[in-house]
Amino acid sequence: MAMIRNHLSTIIISILTAAMGVIAAIAFGKMHHPEVLYPSASLTSKGMLSDYFDGITGTNGDTEVYLYDSGVAGGTALLCGGTHANEAASFLSTVVILENLRVTCGRVIIIPRLNNSAFTCSDPMEGFPSSYEIPTKNGTRVFRLGSRVTNPLDQWPDPLVFAQYPSNQQLSGFETRNINRAYPGRPDGTLTEKVAYAIIQIIKKENVNIAFDLHESSPEVPIVNVIVYNEKYEDIAMNAVLGLEMAGLQFSPETSPKNFHGLSHREWGDYTNAIPFLMETSNPSMGRLRGETNVDLVLRGDCDNYKKAKETGALRIAYREETGEPIEHRVGRHIMGFIELINSYNYYYPEMQIVVENLPDYDMIMENGVGEYLKN
Amino acid sequence: MIVAILILFFTSLSVEAQKFKQPVLISSAGQSADVKLVKMLAQRQGLNATTILMAKSADLTGFKTLIIVPGFSSKGLGAAGISQQEEMERVKALIKSANDLKIPIVMIHIGGSARRQGQSDAFNQIVAENSKSMLVVKQGDEDGFFTTISKAKNIPLTLVVKIAETEIPLGNFFK
Ligand SMILES: [Zn+2]
Repeated sequence: MAMIRNHLSTIIISILTAAMGVIAAIAFGKMHHPEVLYPSASLTSKGMLSDYFDGITGTNGDTEVYLYDSGVAGGTALLCGGTHANEAASFLSTVVILENLRVTCGRVIIIPRLNNSAFTCSDPMEGFPSSYEIPTKNGTRVFRLGSRVTNPLDQWPDPLVFAQYPSNQQLSGFETRNINRAYPGRPDGTLTEKVAYAIIQIIKKENVNIAFDLHESSPEVPIVNVIVYNEKYEDIAMNAVLGLEMAGLQFSPETSPKNFHGLSHREWGDYTNAIPFLMETSNPSMGRLRGETNVDLVLRGDCDNYKKAKETGALRIAYREETGEPIEHRVGRHIMGFIELINSYNYYYPEMQIVVENLPDYDMIMENGVGEYLKN
Repeated sequence: MIVAILILFFTSLSVEAQKFKQPVLISSAGQSADVKLVKMLAQRQGLNATTILMAKSADLTGFKTLIIVPGFSSKGLGAAGISQQEEMERVKALIKSANDLKIPIVMIHIGGSARRQGQSDAFNQIVAENSKSMLVVKQGDEDGFFTTISKAKNIPLTLVVKIAETEIPLGNFFK
């Protein structure tokens, strides 16, 4: 009798476990379906990154590439979001540009999820929400919040020490899945290195003149609210910083360190003819001092811990006590940075102009919210 | 009080009248990135200017004005591979040579509060006190640091709100 009872409970527990497994599998599977984006009417074609390197065909590293060709001879810009899929304003700024952009001279190529694999998981032990919602005129859009690095299901195990290729620079094993340490990549490397290699190929094959890599970072790190530039292109960066300052936005110019390898602003500039810029906004949800980690913190970016930390004056912290660092502010900064850097580039390369129009400026986004500029 | 107002009046008048000659050497004191923005501002104004981040006395040859942009940056010093003390010695020597050669020094401080106090003020002070004119973004003078030096040493001080607004007064120095 006792044995039957024992078996019965085993069966019930097994069935319940299986049911939970199925529910979890469905939820988990959804993470592998990217949200639908609604490109503006200027879009001329859509392809995949594997069109430039077929070594990533059929992998989770393959990602959408959107091309906007004005048909008027000029330069080519590449805009990348989602290098780090946990940096909401990086992806979202790219989406706003993708859904509003009009190009009247030259071309713009947009890769919204540069590390696509990283959008299919979140960072363990960080308590990050896996998605966030933005209200729009027609309802609500849901966006994935992913991980800083490639999904371990796509690349495993990590080495104890990561030797960056080809510099052989030693980094912690975890960084082997960080695509912003993987450039220039290699065709026979890890998935992350293959995707990095594919990015270098698209820059070369499309003759990209200016390339953007959008990021966010913790308020307490030194590289925040910055434009990082490759030293070859200092003038373009400085000119843009002054233009942005006139528009009321402070960006610190930061030179790309010469001996820190694998980063976009270093290797895109050294291995291709593109002029690379990386921008960072301040995102309290990514910081070590943050409190409860939830969607509210990701979107509103206000956090009492950072307010207190700033008030002590012990650390230099990029946090605005009165307003926090809301998503509108962060997306507005990225879009203005994109516009001003292109303006500055056009000043130095008038024969290879890229003219972008119809993008909301900082004040418009602050006033109307990000959702106002999302289609559907 | 009236005397003070008169002094201020004449100080501002002398700002209008103050002229410097080209070519211009631009250098840093403390190796903050601000000097790169000043280089860009000078370029926008079409000045005949050369920027040497760690200019030494010998570099002054042929220049008629020295612009120094003070502001401490440990990162900048790290990139240059020198210590704070070495940088201070270089700055002192450069200032002394400029004074000996009668090359006027113009100080441009654009870094705001981030380039004040801490390790920056020693650089700010020595450059400000040895300058013939100061151009300062207001946020860096909220405590009156530069205003005090300006009054004590009778050095004209131009205050602007934004970094980009230093461009016109900078250009006017040479027109
Ligand atoms: Zn990042």
